[in-house]
Amino acid sequence: MSVLNLNPQTIKQLKRFRSIKRGYWSAILLAVLLALCLVAELLVNSRALMVSYEGELYFPTYTAMNPGSTFGLEYAYETNYRELREKFEGEDEGNWVLMPPVPYNAFENDLRIGSYPPAAPSFEDQHYLGTDTTGRDIVARLVYGFRIAIAFSGLLLTFNYVAGIIIGCAMGYFGGAFDLLFQRVIEIWSNIPFLYVIMIVASVVVPSFLTLVIVMAALGWMQLTWNMRTSTYKEKGREYVSAAQALGAGNVRIIGSHILPNTIAVIVTFVPFSIASGITFLTALDYLGFGLPPPTPSWGELLSQGTNQLQAPWIVTSVVVAMVIVLLMVTYVGEAIREAFDPKQFTYYE
Amino acid sequence: MKRIKHFRMRDFGLTLSLSVFVSALVIVGCGQVEEAIDAEDSETSEIDDDLEVVELPPIVVAEGDGLPDELPSDLEWLTNDSDPEFASPDAIQGGTFRTTMSTFPLTLRLVGPDSNGSFTGYLRYNNFGPVSFHPRTRRAIPAIATHWAFGSDGRSIYYRINPKARWSDGEPVTSDDFIFAVQFMRSEQIVAPWYNNYYTDRIRDVKAYDEYTYGVQGADAKPMDEMHYNYGFSPKPRHFHVMSNKWVEQYNWSPDPTTGPYHVGEVSKGKYIDLDRTENWWANDERFYRNRFNPARIRIKVIRDVNTAWQHFLKAELDTFGLVLPDFWHDKAQGEEFDNGYIRKFWLYNQLPQPSTGMFMNTNEPMLSERDVRYGIAHALNFERVINTILRGDYERLPTFQLGFGDYDNNTIKPRTYDLDKAAEYFQRAGFTERDDTGILVRDGQRLSFIVSYGQSHHTDRLVILKEEAKKAGLELELQLLDGSAAFKKQQEKKHQISWGGWASQGLSPRYWEHFHSDNAKRTQTNNITAWADPAMDELIMQFRGSSDRAERIELAHVLERMVHDSGVMVPSFQVPYTREAAWRWIRVPQHIGTPTTGSIFNTQANSAGIFSSGGLFWIDTEIKEETLEAKRNGDSFGAATIVQNDFRTKI
Repeated sequence: MSVLNLNPQTIKQLKRFRSIKRGYWSAILLAVLLALCLVAELLVNSRALMVSYEGELYFPTYTAMNPGSTFGLEYAYETNYRELREKFEGEDEGNWVLMPPVPYNAFENDLRIGSYPPAAPSFEDQHYLGTDTTGRDIVARLVYGFRIAIAFSGLLLTFNYVAGIIIGCAMGYFGGAFDLLFQRVIEIWSNIPFLYVIMIVASVVVPSFLTLVIVMAALGWMQLTWNMRTSTYKEKGREYVSAAQALGAGNVRIIGSHILPNTIAVIVTFVPFSIASGITFLTALDYLGFGLPPPTPSWGELLSQGTNQLQAPWIVTSVVVAMVIVLLMVTYVGEAIREAFDPKQFTYYE
Repeated sequence: MKRIKHFRMRDFGLTLSLSVFVSALVIVGCGQVEEAIDAEDSETSEIDDDLEVVELPPIVVAEGDGLPDELPSDLEWLTNDSDPEFASPDAIQGGTFRTTMSTFPLTLRLVGPDSNGSFTGYLRYNNFGPVSFHPRTRRAIPAIATHWAFGSDGRSIYYRINPKARWSDGEPVTSDDFIFAVQFMRSEQIVAPWYNNYYTDRIRDVKAYDEYTYGVQGADAKPMDEMHYNYGFSPKPRHFHVMSNKWVEQYNWSPDPTTGPYHVGEVSKGKYIDLDRTENWWANDERFYRNRFNPARIRIKVIRDVNTAWQHFLKAELDTFGLVLPDFWHDKAQGEEFDNGYIRKFWLYNQLPQPSTGMFMNTNEPMLSERDVRYGIAHALNFERVINTILRGDYERLPTFQLGFGDYDNNTIKPRTYDLDKAAEYFQRAGFTERDDTGILVRDGQRLSFIVSYGQSHHTDRLVILKEEAKKAGLELELQLLDGSAAFKKQQEKKHQISWGGWASQGLSPRYWEHFHSDNAKRTQTNNITAWADPAMDELIMQFRGSSDRAERIELAHVLERMVHDSGVMVPSFQVPYTREAAWRWIRVPQHIGTPTTGSIFNTQANSAGIFSSGGLFWIDTEIKEETLEAKRNGDSFGAATIVQNDFRTKI
């Protein structure tokens, strides 16, 4: 189905969504942020965007590392482009370096002799939000941390929703023993204390990005099942389902092409909130030290640093403000979607 | 001997942050502690029903072991009444010293389940052994025993008990209490396998010759001082213990009477524990114990969070506070209390055995079995940068594996320092000449990359700097933060590549057998976590172990330490050869503040580092207290006071 070929119902919902200004602008802003995140290497990076050296142009961002010797420096390890820029400016031989707006990556320690990290925000050093306890740039940690959190959240959401939708629909559609069995399974499964499981897992293996997603999906897929079960159950009693059955459509076809599109409102309204909870979960885990292994940039780790270093308020302020803004925007979008998809919009019951 | 018991990923001096970690765990479980205590009380009647009192068997002696039936007549009785006193004659007795612990102990027993918490230290060091060690000369000094003599077999030692010695409940300390100690420690009723084993395997016989004379036979011949340290165990009060199948439960909250200056007073479960000075303590006028242990009471309050404890300290609800951590010393210890001299800051350098901390390379790993790679790694680790930045120049580089044992130290060893040229040279020799796209050296497609596993989350800061700096040398370090026990398990099973951590050091001389002997290289669950095996070294280690000649042992230790350095299997990291503490002005200290073996200036206990009798030197001056509090109300200043004591600093 092409974009232009939307059904009138969807067009109405989109219009309604656009009319809710707060959610609409939040969605646009979030989309922009996500897009920027994908090319974060061009904005926040210790590698230069462009280097002109002896008449030749270099674009180091996405290439293999250039040892210092490439640019006439005396070392074999990766060029420090910030120093290179200063060197070129000093020499004035027509060579130049174009750095990204924030010329630091999320891992390097910008430690200066005579001052101890964390360093306060400084425009001169281009640490716009200061540095953390090991001298890493906070903007860089925030940006790359955000990218990881969003990717984590998105992946987790996919796993949870695929499982939740399949099982929930099956429960609602088939009913009977299958439904009963899964109801009990879910009830039991929901009672597994999530944090303890993570703690145990973290003590046995180093939690990697994927293991964390898997563990959290294994304990989180139940959320959507109840809602999907209810809506499928409701839809199943409708005449169009009976009609499809009468025409000889199979179960998969009925669920897939008839019931699912009619329950999409339920799914869509939950998405933003699931994203928000995914981000919060990862942050909380990192904060407690059960999350991604160091030195992965992460909001939770920054938060934990910040609360231990209240004398360096820029750490905790940056991460709290960033979190509040992102979570607020996601929530606004969620609110707007819910309202846009609300079928009771123009219906009044007396 | 495997000394797993004494291992911890030692966080030299950083007990503060450790207690943060401990308290974080305890918050989850604090409700349970109190419940457990209540349950304990209500169960008492049930316990009585199936209580079976047990008569402990007499000391069993294996064939080939055993002390003579009669006290040998040719013994040369030794004592020490000539070493200088180290307490201040100005000390004033009295007052309550207020300090803190991060968790309430799960038991007041000294042995058995849950008895290895931090509070046990207070009880253990209040249970004097026959001798202690002089904090300056490091020679044996009398404690419960006044005299000692060494048997001709090189592994037995005889003690004469001071007839004045009393338990805190007034009963005299006799030879029988030492016999009972061995029976007790060997019994299964105490549920302490480690002690069971130690007192069977290492202590072979104990015999009373009269009420105040007894002998001990150990497993191996050792130099005289080491004999005291290894075989001079503390007595146990026979009159106090009724051994039964319920001993562990019954004695959970009934602490032993002590032979030291303090005994357990009021206990408010979950809140605080008081240690009261024993009235007319038997050693009050003894040469090395007078003018010491001055507070009449020590109140140890539970404060779970280190930052909360800090606030209590600033409000003068605690008398002292440890400031070893750089951020406490430099950033938090600021403000009017410090500027006006109400609180004084102390920085005391000492010469205690340093924990052997650093990177331990598993030589079972293909690349790490090459010496050039190990040397290259050592030159690619920029410890100096870590020290000069996040550690604020406060820590020092540890030059070699073991240090702080006086004459045993080999001070000629210099650590391998960060040097990209040298690193490149060694890596080149090993065949690593090319760099890949990420800047890491490669050899036939094999990247120069290692996993560094560690268990202390607050060391991440240090490791990320090492990691970034190592990249410049073309070396990749992947950091693997594990839960403390998982990290320990991993290296015990020798599944690590590089392990970041350390071994706590104590005793009078360094240890090599457990860390470097080939017997321990092949097996898992040993302390030879580098899996290092060198026949030449094995021979010297066995010579070192078997020798009872101090001079020979010192010479061997110097050679062995050099061999450890040459092997390059361990890259030593940091040492903290000092203690830093803050105290309210009314806490007074002797002129020298402490001794060369003072681990903590405001240690209320007899010992530090397990053996040296350096504790209990400070006192409380109530007049100064009133004066200070008055000045604080009026905003008067005494002038800021930061006292740095360099006298005992090791010069290298």
